[in-house]
Amino acid sequence: MNNTLLQIAILFCTLSLSAFGGGKVVLPTMHHDAVQTRPDYSFNNHQWMDDADFVNLFSISMAAPGPSMMVVTLVGLKACLPYGTAVAILGALVATLAMFVPSSFLVYFAGKWWDSWEESPWRHSIMDAIMPISTGLILAATWIIAKTSIHSVPTAIMGVVALLLMLFTKINPVLMMGVAGAISWVFLR
Amino acid sequence: MLELSGLFAFIGLTSFGGGITAYIRRLVVTQKKWLTDEEFLPGLGLVQLLPGANVVGLAVYIGNHLKGPLGSVVALGSLLVPPFISTCALGFLYFHAGKTADTKALLAGITAVACGLMASMVFEAGEKAIKGFFDVVLILITFALVRFLHLSVPIVILIVAPLAIWWHRPRSSKDSGSTNSSAS
Repeated sequence: MNNTLLQIAILFCTLSLSAFGGGKVVLPTMHHDAVQTRPDYSFNNHQWMDDADFVNLFSISMAAPGPSMMVVTLVGLKACLPYGTAVAILGALVATLAMFVPSSFLVYFAGKWWDSWEESPWRHSIMDAIMPISTGLILAATWIIAKTSIHSVPTAIMGVVALLLMLFTKINPVLMMGVAGAISWVFLR
Repeated sequence: MLELSGLFAFIGLTSFGGGITAYIRRLVVTQKKWLTDEEFLPGLGLVQLLPGANVVGLAVYIGNHLKGPLGSVVALGSLLVPPFISTCALGFLYFHAGKTADTKALLAGITAVACGLMASMVFEAGEKAIKGFFDVVLILITFALVRFLHLSVPIVILIVAPLAIWWHRPRSSKDSGSTNSSAS
């Protein structure tokens, strides 16, 4: 149990300080470390859950209120669930603190000397450099989610329709999830 | 302080990711007038540059700006505690009832849409990222390192960032005519 809590703390502290461009970019590593994989990729692999659980937890965190990074709360919860409900809540708490506190300290302390740095041309260089990297990481994250969530013609259609609605309309994504959930409950049961 | 806490609790419970920074600006700058744009925009620039969700960084920045370190703690706590409780509740619900045929069917639709949302974020990020041919190369290098070499995200950033920063380094006007100039 203590071992699992320590693993959660180390994983999410590391990811907290790597999440350039938001929490989505660290999803591939979260998936790699948390989900059972084939033995050949087992380095740092904690086997807390399977692919279906991971993608379901990710989707729940997208549909639920709060920053989308709240998926870490659910990963911490699942990792400690075998030790009972109280430990599961502790695991969720450790994961959430580990994900949000280190990056917040960084903002707090960087804010102190930010003014002197704001005019530097390097600021735009770093911003321009971060954007393609985070795009590539979000692409890798989308790939992981798609491999598990798009497994049939109906799910592929719903995914593509959601993509087009997001790009070309201002429909609330939570509403889309609700409608798609209802549709698949009626037709795919 | 109570108002600060209330506002960030509200933001936490009504934010579902995406477009949230514009929303915070409207609440804090336009409606409450707690900060001017001259105070808010540097903070936004800061949190976009640093790791972590923008909304979380803004809570720390705005809290500190208004009430000092304690303000940061209050804003961050108010932002995260209510979603933490609701997220845990949903998690337990999922692990107790998630394996039935009904919830599986329900989740099939929800995960498909979640995947569509992620894909839309690739397009949105890509639109801002791609300023020249080399940005596409950077995106593909990053993707390949994660997807095919299974490197962890921190390591990928350490590999690609120096290359990307070098490419986007500030150029004097003398350089801008060279074949390298992709910024436009």
